[in-house]
Amino acid sequence: MTVSTFSIAQRIINQLLHDRRTLALVVIVPLIIASLVGVSVPDERILDYTAPAILAVLILFFGFLLTGISFLRERSQGTLERLMASPVTRLDIVGGYLLGFLVFALLQTLIIFFYMVYVLQINYQGELWQIILFQVLIGIGAVCLGTFLSVFARNEFQMIQFIPMIIVPQMFLCGLLWPVGQMPDYLQWLAKFLPLTYGIEGIRAMMLEGQNLLEVGKDVGILAAYAVGLLILASLTLRRGKVA
Amino acid sequence: MTDSAILVKDLVFNYGRLRVIDNLSLEIPSGTSFGLLGPNGSGKTTLIRLMVGLLRPAAGLIRCLGKPPSPARARYTGYMPQLPALYAELTVQQNIDFFARIYGLRDKDVRVPRVEEVVRLTDLWDKRKTQVMKLSGGMKQRVSLGCAIVHRPPLLFLDEPTVGLDPELRANFWDYFAGLTAGGTTIIISSHTMDDAAHCQNLVFLRLGRVIAEGTPEELRAATGDKEASLEDAFLYFIRQKEVSQDDR
Repeated sequence: MTVSTFSIAQRIINQLLHDRRTLALVVIVPLIIASLVGVSVPDERILDYTAPAILAVLILFFGFLLTGISFLRERSQGTLERLMASPVTRLDIVGGYLLGFLVFALLQTLIIFFYMVYVLQINYQGELWQIILFQVLIGIGAVCLGTFLSVFARNEFQMIQFIPMIIVPQMFLCGLLWPVGQMPDYLQWLAKFLPLTYGIEGIRAMMLEGQNLLEVGKDVGILAAYAVGLLILASLTLRRGKVA
Repeated sequence: MTDSAILVKDLVFNYGRLRVIDNLSLEIPSGTSFGLLGPNGSGKTTLIRLMVGLLRPAAGLIRCLGKPPSPARARYTGYMPQLPALYAELTVQQNIDFFARIYGLRDKDVRVPRVEEVVRLTDLWDKRKTQVMKLSGGMKQRVSLGCAIVHRPPLLFLDEPTVGLDPELRANFWDYFAGLTAGGTTIIISSHTMDDAAHCQNLVFLRLGRVIAEGTPEELRAATGDKEASLEDAFLYFIRQKEVSQDDR
C-alpha cells in the first residue's frame, strides 16, 4: 500500500460524504431490513439462530452492491481511464477502493449488528471484537467481489443482474434458510465453493457457540483466500493497455 | 530532455478485426504544440491513448521523452480525456487536489498553493467550493484541464480540449497553451476543427489511421498551391491527393 492507496480511499469517502442521499440510504436501508427481520421472525430462539446468518448475507449484499455500482461508474465516467494514465498502480486503485468502501461496509455492519443486539435483543456469545473482525472479513470479500464483477457489466442495470446471479443463489445454498447438510449431495458439493457458506458457518459458530477466531480458523482462512484471490482478479482486470 | 518529445514508428493498432492505426509514424519536437487533425474515426483518440499507455500497440514503437509509456513515466505526462472524467460529487478544488496527490504532490505546503494557482488559472476561483455536478459543460472542461496540468508535466495530451467551449473560452485556452509551450511544455492536441488547427505550431492530418500530411499550418496551406487556401481546403486537397495516388497504384 502506498500514499496513493490512501488518497484514493480518502477520495471515495469524501465522495460518499458529499452524496447525502446515498449516505442516508447506507444508514437507513440496513435498519429497515433488520427491523423487518425482527418483526417477521416470531420466535425468539429462531431469531437468535437466524440473525447471524442474515447479518453475513447483508454484509455481502450491501458491500457488493455499493462497491460494484461505484466501480462501474468509475469505469463508465472515464475517471478510471484517467487514473490508469497516472502513476498509480492497479493495486493502489483496488486497495484504495477496498479501504474506502470498507469504511461504509463496516458502518453498515455495525448498524445492523448493534440494532439486532440492542433493539431486537438477540442473544449472542463470543467476544464482540472478534465477531466484528469476522464481519469485516466478509465485508472485504464483498468489496473485492463487487470490484471484480463490475468489469463484466457495461451499465448499472447489468450490474444489478449480478444480484440474482451471484448473491441470491448463495443465500439458498449456504445455510441461511436450511442446513447445508440437508440439501442433496451435489448441492452440498456446490456450497463448498461459495464464500457465504464459510461466512455463515463461521459467524454462527462464534455468535451461537461462543467460538473464537482461532476455532473458526478454517472459515477465516477460506474467506481470506477468497478475498485475496478476488483482489488479484480485480486488479488484473485493470491492466494498462486494456482500458477501452 | 531529447529533441523529440515523442517518437512513433510503424505503429499498428486494431480493435478486433478493424485496423484503427495503420503503420503510423511521427516525431513530435519538444516544446511545441502539435495538432492531430482528422475527422471522427480517423484514429486521433486511439493514437493519444496509445501514446499515454492506455492501449498496447499490435506492432511498432512509441517513445515518450525517450522511454516507452509506463506508470513510472506517467508522472511526466498530463492527460485530459475527451470526456471531462471528473468526480461529480466532489468540488472543483477537491478534484484538482486529488489529481495533484496521485501525481506525486504529497507535500501539503507545495500542493495547496499549486492547486489554488490552477483554480485561479482556469478562472474557477469563485466556483472552487462548488460540486462539479453543478457546473456547466465549459466549466467542467476547465476543471478537467486543471487536473491534467496541476503537476506541471513536460508532456501534455489533450483530447479535443475545446469541444463545447464558447469562442472566448476557447481563445483563453489557446492563450494558455501558447504560454505552456513557451515555457518548454510539449502539447499534443487532438481536434476535428480547423479553427483549433490554426493555433498549433505543427500538424498532422490523419485519415483512417494514417498520416496523410504533416507540417506547419502555413506549409500545409501552401502545398495546395492556392494562396487563399484554408486549412480545411488543405485537408481536402491531401485527401484527394491520397486517393489519386492509390488509384495510380
